[in-house]
Amino acid sequence: MSAHLSSTVLNGLVDGELSADQLAAAQAHLDHCPACTSDALAQTLLKRSVARAGQRYAPPPALGGRLKRLASDNAIQTNSAQPASDREQQFRFTLRPALAGWAVAAVLLLAATEVVVTQHRAQTFNAASAQRAALVTEVCDLHVATLAAGLPPQVISTDRHTVKPWFEGKIPFSFNLPVDLPADTKLDGANLNYLENQPVAQLLYSIGHHRVSVFIRQRTSAGAMDSLAAEHSGFDVSGFSTDDLEVVAVSDVDPARLSDLMSRFEGSQTTNSR
Amino acid sequence: MALLPWKHAARESGGQASTFEDLALPLLPSLYNIAFWLSGNAHDAEDLVQEAFLKALRGFTTFEPGTNFRAWIFRILRNTYLTSRTGLASLRTIALENELEEQGESAPGVYPEGAIDRRTPELNLIRLNDSAAVHDAMGKLPPPLLEVILLCDLEEMKYREIATVLEIPIGTVMSRLARARAALRTLLQTDFQQHREFLP
Repeated sequence: MSAHLSSTVLNGLVDGELSADQLAAAQAHLDHCPACTSDALAQTLLKRSVARAGQRYAPPPALGGRLKRLASDNAIQTNSAQPASDREQQFRFTLRPALAGWAVAAVLLLAATEVVVTQHRAQTFNAASAQRAALVTEVCDLHVATLAAGLPPQVISTDRHTVKPWFEGKIPFSFNLPVDLPADTKLDGANLNYLENQPVAQLLYSIGHHRVSVFIRQRTSAGAMDSLAAEHSGFDVSGFSTDDLEVVAVSDVDPARLSDLMSRFEGSQTTNSR
Repeated sequence: MALLPWKHAARESGGQASTFEDLALPLLPSLYNIAFWLSGNAHDAEDLVQEAFLKALRGFTTFEPGTNFRAWIFRILRNTYLTSRTGLASLRTIALENELEEQGESAPGVYPEGAIDRRTPELNLIRLNDSAAVHDAMGKLPPPLLEVILLCDLEEMKYREIATVLEIPIGTVMSRLARARAALRTLLQTDFQQHREFLP
């Protein structure tokens, strides 16, 4: 009798991953090996038990509704961003023949519009709030992950003329670092990181013994960081936007000291200092 | 194995549905279930799913129609989990596992056969249909082993799909799966023996 089936073959057998040749060989072995047959049966039972025991947690009903609204809001925003030429063509072919009927319904539509607009504004506000909350969570997670990793920054320097050029060719934008830092504040270095699937510059500062991450990315149309000030899991998050950039900082330092650093960042973006 | 209703819906709609809502919402129970297993509590699971959903929604324009949406959104969920606070511990576990892989302990086909007890005493326990024991044992698995067994046994994903979700080679999927099942059987066997000791 040949050697017993390996764990890889046994798993492939119960998972239906064996090729026709491998399956035939395994079956030929199982015909003569009670130990492997028993083991294959045990693996099959285990697989079924895991499937049964694993299907345990159902989402709360409200979650489905919330996600559906988010998807709908996004669809509404996408439609409103459709090119004008497309909308005109759509109008010509689908709407003009119905204009006569619409004239009759115009009064009713005007009344209904106010209700729809109010609802849409509420939905858009909810979506924006959820997006902002997700951003704050992700920023805090990135900061915590950086601290937990305990790795040195990808570029280690206290010199802004070393840190800033390091990003050339790595990110599709440029930014200024503040010349004068608040007391007891120093630049430790920087990382290239990703926030909401976009490349960001993560600048690492120390204020006393507190660590600060300042994330800089290209401005999105939503401007999610406009006047951002939030608290998440003991961390303070502060952000601002310029015409081209979005900047957000996170730290467990005194919020006033974080704001001071951010004010200098905001000031440096409007100056020509490089 | 009988498919749950939402799995039927997800499979039947594959390739035909075009909107994000049509593709993603049928997968919500599955995404939430996996998120709960990984994060360990309802609140974090809900946050994880919502964050992953938002990321997927924003990145949907980059999704190629006709490709595997399920693997795509599960990968987003898993990456979201890894960058969450609850995922940091698992990152450390993965780092440990990578060290093992470098030592060649998890290469496909070389999984220590001694880990399989061919007398299968825990088989009795499984035959008893003790979902609670299996559930407890699953809860003791480290996240890298738990996620691979959930995707394989619960989500019925093929190895290639799992490799896409976890962004690892198929060989690593196979070795993690073998290790996960061996660990489960060991845990169930230990549990079974402890129960027998308490019997009169």
